[in-house]
Amino acid sequence: MAATLKAFWNSPVGPKTTHFWGPVANWGFVVAGLADTQKPTDMISENMTGAMCIYSLLFMRFAYMVKPRNYLLFGVHASNECVQLYQLQRWVNFRMSSHDCT
Amino acid sequence: MAASKIAVFWNHPAGPKTIHFWAPTFKWGISIANVADFSKPPDKISYPQQIAVTATGLIWSRYSTVITPKNWNLFSVNVAMAATGLYQLSRKISQDYLSVPEAPLNKV
Repeated sequence: MAATLKAFWNSPVGPKTTHFWGPVANWGFVVAGLADTQKPTDMISENMTGAMCIYSLLFMRFAYMVKPRNYLLFGVHASNECVQLYQLQRWVNFRMSSHDCT
Repeated sequence: MAASKIAVFWNHPAGPKTIHFWAPTFKWGISIANVADFSKPPDKISYPQQIAVTATGLIWSRYSTVITPKNWNLFSVNVAMAATGLYQLSRKISQDYLSVPEAPLNKV
């Protein structure tokens, strides 16, 4: 157990390197997005959500094409794409339904 | 000659014909979206989202200076993200914790 932890700690993609903390930081977007799904729809920023949808789509492709292929980065951006698209459709539905009421 | 420099840029393996160019370039969109949101009322700001933007910006700013080669393009886009995130957080914290609530109108 201690040997495994030590190997992880000293790994070239371990917690002492950017290859680890970069993708970890990006999971913050996913966690924040999931938390925001429980909030009222008028809290959604269409600017930020739209930007995130394009950003994560581009970085899914980037993670696939970069050498070495970075599946951790691909995974975090695929997850974020799903969450942000969900938020975007919540916002679109909200705006469309509020137009119907007038 | 300017034309050959443009040609070198255009055909570069990390140039505008590749994702290696467009993905980091588009990261500016996050900061631009945040700047557009400066005019929105602070109660519309999401704490989790802005904490994520700020933390990502700070972590990546740091690491773009310790990778080889140092990537100032990556550094600048992440500094901008951290700065806009911090500003949005300060606006919301200021409204939630530091402002004096308006006195209710007297009902006669």
